Amino acid sequence: MALQLKRDYLNQKVLERLSTLQLHARLPMIGNVSGKHRSPIRGSSLEFAEYRKYVPGDDMRRLDWRAYARNDRYYIKEFEADTNLRMCLIVDTSGSMDFTHNGMSKLDYARRVAGTLAYIAALQGDAVGLYCAGKEFQIEIPPKRSATHLSAVLDELGTMEASGETGLADVLHETAERIAQRALIVVVSDLFIEPGIVRNCFDHLRFRKHDVAVFHLMEQNELEFEFDRPMRFVDMEGGEPILADPTVIGTQYRRAMEMYLESMDEVIRDTEVDYHRICIHEDYGDVLARFLLGRTPKKNK
Amino acid sequence: MSFLQPLALIALPLMALPIIIHLINQQRHRTIPWAAMMFLMRAKRMSRGMARLRHLLILLMRVLAIGALIFAMSRPLSGGWLGSVGLSKPDATLVLLDRSASMEIQDLQAGESKRSTALKRLAQLLEQGDYGTHLLLIDSASGQLHEVDSPKALLRLPMTESSATSANIPSMLETALAYLKANESGRAEIWICSDLKENDWDVHSGRWNAIRDELAQLEGVHHFLLAYTDPPSSNLSIRVENVQRWERGSAAELVLDVMVRTEGGAPYPTAEGRSVVRRVPIEFEVNNVRSVVEVELDTLGASLQGHRIPIDTKLSSGWGSVSLPGDANPLDNRFFFVFSEPPVRKAVVVSDDTKVGEAFRRALAIPTDVRLQHHVDVIPMNRVAEIDWENTGLLIWQGTLPSGLVAEQIQHFVNSGRVAMFFPSKLQTLTATGEQLFAARWGNWQSTGKQSDIKGNISWWRGDADLLAHAESGDALPLSELRTYQYRAFESQGTLLARFDDDAPLLTRVATDRGAAYFCSTLPTAQFSSLERDGVVFYVMLQRALAEGCQTLAVASQRDAGIDALADRNQWEPIAPAGNNASLSQRGLHAGVYRDEAYWAAVNRSQAEDNAKTAAVEAVDTLFDGLSYRRIDVNVGDTSALASELWRIFLIAMAVALILEAVLSLPSRKTESSPLIDLTVAEGTTE
Repeated sequence: MALQLKRDYLNQKVLERLSTLQLHARLPMIGNVSGKHRSPIRGSSLEFAEYRKYVPGDDMRRLDWRAYARNDRYYIKEFEADTNLRMCLIVDTSGSMDFTHNGMSKLDYARRVAGTLAYIAALQGDAVGLYCAGKEFQIEIPPKRSATHLSAVLDELGTMEASGETGLADVLHETAERIAQRALIVVVSDLFIEPGIVRNCFDHLRFRKHDVAVFHLMEQNELEFEFDRPMRFVDMEGGEPILADPTVIGTQYRRAMEMYLESMDEVIRDTEVDYHRICIHEDYGDVLARFLLGRTPKKNK
Repeated sequence: MSFLQPLALIALPLMALPIIIHLINQQRHRTIPWAAMMFLMRAKRMSRGMARLRHLLILLMRVLAIGALIFAMSRPLSGGWLGSVGLSKPDATLVLLDRSASMEIQDLQAGESKRSTALKRLAQLLEQGDYGTHLLLIDSASGQLHEVDSPKALLRLPMTESSATSANIPSMLETALAYLKANESGRAEIWICSDLKENDWDVHSGRWNAIRDELAQLEGVHHFLLAYTDPPSSNLSIRVENVQRWERGSAAELVLDVMVRTEGGAPYPTAEGRSVVRRVPIEFEVNNVRSVVEVELDTLGASLQGHRIPIDTKLSSGWGSVSLPGDANPLDNRFFFVFSEPPVRKAVVVSDDTKVGEAFRRALAIPTDVRLQHHVDVIPMNRVAEIDWENTGLLIWQGTLPSGLVAEQIQHFVNSGRVAMFFPSKLQTLTATGEQLFAARWGNWQSTGKQSDIKGNISWWRGDADLLAHAESGDALPLSELRTYQYRAFESQGTLLARFDDDAPLLTRVATDRGAAYFCSTLPTAQFSSLERDGVVFYVMLQRALAEGCQTLAVASQRDAGIDALADRNQWEPIAPAGNNASLSQRGLHAGVYRDEAYWAAVNRSQAEDNAKTAAVEAVDTLFDGLSYRRIDVNVGDTSALASELWRIFLIAMAVALILEAVLSLPSRKTESSPLIDLTVAEGTTE
């Protein structure tokens, strides 16, 4: 599939480098066309799945006559079905995603991750959808397979802005309810919400049999909180500014961050989502390569 | 606390610097958009407890470090008692030094006396500090004010050396007060060095109220008392109470009454707590001949009465001494005495009343000792010019008080050390002006009632000293049995020796420089009183007056050390002890024997100096009530500094504060496995 890339957040070299890798679902998917992903329904692929006893009504053409010759019983030979995948990209567009490091904001980073993944998925014939999780900026593009649809997704990615409070929890719950069939849900966010709320969202998605992948974007300064003088911290999501002396509260800040990350680890362990904690100074190509390789089925290795 | 560099304290407001910097730092904050606000709010909630306290402690440590540095630079001096002085330096510092004999008690190990210890410590303190424009010394021996160049000079001056005198602290304070008032000194410090002896302080004297009131009116005067309040150490003192030269046939002898006193309680218990008898040798030295007598000591001391020392009959006058072995106070181990042939005790009775005159003559003519010669002249008023003033020891004046030349002669007579006794005239009426002598005058005759009704009408008399003192046996004179039928009212400012039931004076001693003048308000004859008939009181009173008055007639006299002890003659030459080369002005202050042709004088410490009684410190403190006053208790021989510089302590305090500040400012340690560094997620969650 040839795509004319006009979006500056997409990097040609990264796309070329990642084009050799495939996006795999960790769980069987139910698609509407043939694809590269396992399906829970038996199909007509070349890959043997299992034998089962014949029951009246089965297609006589699928009887294994060799097995009948050996055992004098009727067996139906079943094969795996390969199908396509629905990938829903959920990008957090709250004000906090505008936090910038060396000229790159978290939203820019999210844009690159989501855009590249969308491209790779579309390239292998999977449907791609886009949801923005912001109280003030909301986009909802259901997953589809067409090239024009990808173009629309990429365009929206290019135009989205970070502002206001986050609506991630609402969007995740809504997505879990609205996408009826199994899908790969890719969340790109800084997850500045309580771990308990995150746990509920992921539990909901898992309950709906969705494969959930999370790119948790962080910035080094947010982790280390290294300031040497009093600062007036303006809330990027519109809350009250706080005047604080980092030399006084630095230790407590780091302790709070530590507790949050520990809680988040616990949530990840319990909900078994594909979680990636990323500092935005990391190369997103490396991050995505690690992500894709991590999802490659082991039997292929 | 006082400071050697008080100007450095101007920098004290710099202690607020860390707080000001902190506040400025708070104001020059940067604004930054921040995403992770939830952690910031959580951190602020967490920092309200210990973290805030820690931050405050860091600020406090910085403030303390600067404060300690400033204090160190101001060179503070130790001593809580210096704290009240304030920070400004005095205009004048007055040192009141007690040079009395009791101040020479030494610490035998250190070899320092109370006086020298006090001087050294005070000189050291004043040298360290700032004693102002004037440093003045008032020594107890002379009672005079001396300007001193520097504190070190205090250690070299003859006015600060030991003396055998007694001190008069109220008088010294009055001198200091007069100086402060005359010079209108602003801020002044008065340092009193004393061992708080009761006789030196006279805490019950009415003078203290006046002194305190006047000192209270002066602003900025601080009083310091370097007091030796430690119990007296074991010490023996010796004194010759009486010395007489008698001739018995062809032999002559000295008869001495010697008293040894112990100080410091019972100093001779054994290890088992039992008292043992201690014998002490007394060395007598007369005419370069020495003899030793041992006496037994009890807890109070020992008394050697009537000790006889044979002498050459040709030795009509001379000197001697009694000595004890060395102990804590070297000044009271030797006592000098002089002797001479007893003079004829001559008394003159001036009275126009023959009967009264005869009563006096009878009482005076009979000597208390048969070896004494008494001579009494009774003359009428119009023969006063015939009196041989030089050779008379007692003058009895019965009649109208004299005036003019006779009054002057009597005053001179008394001031030369003799005794005059005045009895009232029988005349009922007074002149318009009223004759006056020694600031005293007679009033009208008063009757006490019918003679048959009167049974002793003396309500009080002074039994501890003077003419009516108890006998040596301790028995009181029978004044309670004395009946007075008429007495004459009397006005004076003198010291009352006896009074009637109605508080009217019977016998009064008026103030004189030397000698004594007594006024008795009744007459000895039966019409007025039972003085002559009862006899004992009358006889003792007159004999004591005669003995006192005739002391100056002897060529040899015992004198108490004092600035005017040898003021009566100009040519006194030191005879003993050997090497007595005191300057003329200081001679009367030191114990010794002096001679001026035929006259001998033995100068010794006064009897009060042998009294070990110390005034209660509370009583002394009370004397300074309402004044800026500090008492500093010191020990004999302890010459450690009264104040020492404390800058080292403050520098250490500063270093400690800085170290604590550094420790508190250390960032909390980050563990190696901290998720803030390791961004990988929990194992098994990525596939």
